[in-house]
Amino acid sequence: MADKLKRALRVPRRILSLLAISAKLDLMWLLRDTKYALTGIVGDLIFNVSTLSSIYLIALRFGGIGGMGTDEVLFMLAYSTITTGLFIMFGSGNNFHISRIIGRGQLDHMHMQPLPLGVQMCTSGFSPFTGSGDLIMGAAVMAWAVRRLALPVTPLWLTALIGYILCTMVVIVARSYLFSSAAFYAPVAAEEISTTVIEGTWLLSTFPLSGMPPWVQVGLLTILPEGLLAWFPSLCLLGRPPLGLTAIYPLAYALLLTLLTSLVFMKGLKHYVNNGSNRYVPYGFRR
Amino acid sequence: MSIMDQTDMFHTDSAVSLRGVTKTFVQWQRDNTGKGLLRNLLRPEKRSIAALADVSFEIARGEFAAYAGPNGAGKSTTMKLLGGMLHPNAGTLSVLGMSPQKERAALMRRLGILFGNRTELWWDHPVIQSFEWKKVVWDIPDDVYRRNLCAVVEMLDIGDLLKTFARELSLGQRMRADLAMLLLHSPEVLLLDEPTLGLDVVAKRQMIDFLKRINLESGVTILVTSHDMDDLEEMARRVLMISDGRIAFDGGFQALRGLTGSLTRVRITMEEGCLPPDIPNGLLLSRERGVFEYEIDLVTTPVKSLLGQLSIADGVRDIEIQKAPIEQVIAQLYKGWKSQASA
Repeated sequence: MADKLKRALRVPRRILSLLAISAKLDLMWLLRDTKYALTGIVGDLIFNVSTLSSIYLIALRFGGIGGMGTDEVLFMLAYSTITTGLFIMFGSGNNFHISRIIGRGQLDHMHMQPLPLGVQMCTSGFSPFTGSGDLIMGAAVMAWAVRRLALPVTPLWLTALIGYILCTMVVIVARSYLFSSAAFYAPVAAEEISTTVIEGTWLLSTFPLSGMPPWVQVGLLTILPEGLLAWFPSLCLLGRPPLGLTAIYPLAYALLLTLLTSLVFMKGLKHYVNNGSNRYVPYGFRR
Repeated sequence: MSIMDQTDMFHTDSAVSLRGVTKTFVQWQRDNTGKGLLRNLLRPEKRSIAALADVSFEIARGEFAAYAGPNGAGKSTTMKLLGGMLHPNAGTLSVLGMSPQKERAALMRRLGILFGNRTELWWDHPVIQSFEWKKVVWDIPDDVYRRNLCAVVEMLDIGDLLKTFARELSLGQRMRADLAMLLLHSPEVLLLDEPTLGLDVVAKRQMIDFLKRINLESGVTILVTSHDMDDLEEMARRVLMISDGRIAFDGGFQALRGLTGSLTRVRITMEEGCLPPDIPNGLLLSRERGVFEYEIDLVTTPVKSLLGQLSIADGVRDIEIQKAPIEQVIAQLYKGWKSQASA
């Protein structure tokens, strides 16, 4: 029985130890020089405040945006900042911007490690010290928005919040991996495709879409899923899913996107191990 | 063309085994004319390149083998296939009895791979930090890590480098640190692709001595590639020569020299004002301040006959007979293989 339990706990313990060494490397990197550390922390703070404040100031000026009240907009912004924070905190090693690793021919370094690629992709970019600014700020603003909206914070609501955040994260990462698969075939041209895909439309995801025509909303929930990154889940958590869609739509979308991404990415990976990469650039590999 | 010493091929206790391995790559072709551009859009022109063609060899446990060949011969492709980074088109590979393609993660616990032009160190961290990262990722037990760390620090003389940031190391120091990191998990097999690339004489010496020592003392199997044949000859007892994706030679360095005949260098120092002796079948390579260097094939001109001629020549002050440098032997072989391939 004890042996069984020990074996069952082996994988989570291993994942935790890998996250811990990534965290330690992150802390050591931050503390390599006081000047760098302080500059980094202050720079992050300024960036996060300015990202949040622009849309919130518009909402304040006009008493809300497109049918969402000021506090609801604040709640949505907090949600978006939390997911952005998680993306940064778990994806600092280019593991979420995987097109950079593939395009630069650095996947070989991952093949040399005695770990499944999936485990490396989930754990190698964990940076709680340099990448937690957005997450902390998002959580603080969410607590503030929840208080102003007087939302009943029950265990069920908290579970739903975590579930929606996970779905959003899956959508962001899966979309990055889906488009990054192009780098298997065109390493130079597609090296930065994940940055373009994720960051090119990031601002759109922090904008309340409630005032938009339905065809725009539908488009942003299907073809270009920016509406799923903050707007749709926020309205679900506020108790009024838009467009008459079910509250589990983000989960269904995340699952479908994951399935599609798995197929496309595995095909690309097969192409990589069959054809190799004729390019190697050490830039950006292991800071 | 294959000249192989296959007496004990495919013995059971092998560390590395390749059987009938073929690997082809597809290259895109395009000319720069407008017509070519249009044709490429409609029907891209591609050609197949055989990096490895039906390659078979085995490396026994504890063996130190060199893997050499001209640029583009398929050396790095072999290394990547053995490391599970590439899959073969045909044939089977195994390292320590495991398939690199199917059991990559498990194999990496027992295998070490080093590419001379790449580093596994964390760039913006002290060397010891990379070592600690490796300990966790490879799940190396504390006692094994401590023992191996002490050993590599002593053998590679990297004690002073442990607290230095990787970005501040010289190339030689970086290679030593990379090699040290490679050994922390006690690999049973090492695949080294150009480990001496760009190293100066001292750094190269340290690297060669170290590799010989771990092979001898710890029985680590080593397969090493290099462009520097002199380095390879000093390190390995066996050399596998690859040319155009095929094993063209597999045997000892002495046998390799025999392939191009018994080419020998003879340096004759003459008294001032004396002319050099006439040596039949000898090719004068250089003359400088009374020192004349010849290339002589000892099969056509035996040593006895050569010394006989020199003993009666006037003004000979000194004679020095040396084996032809292995680089020259290889150059002749490559040239021969190339002309055979084009024929």
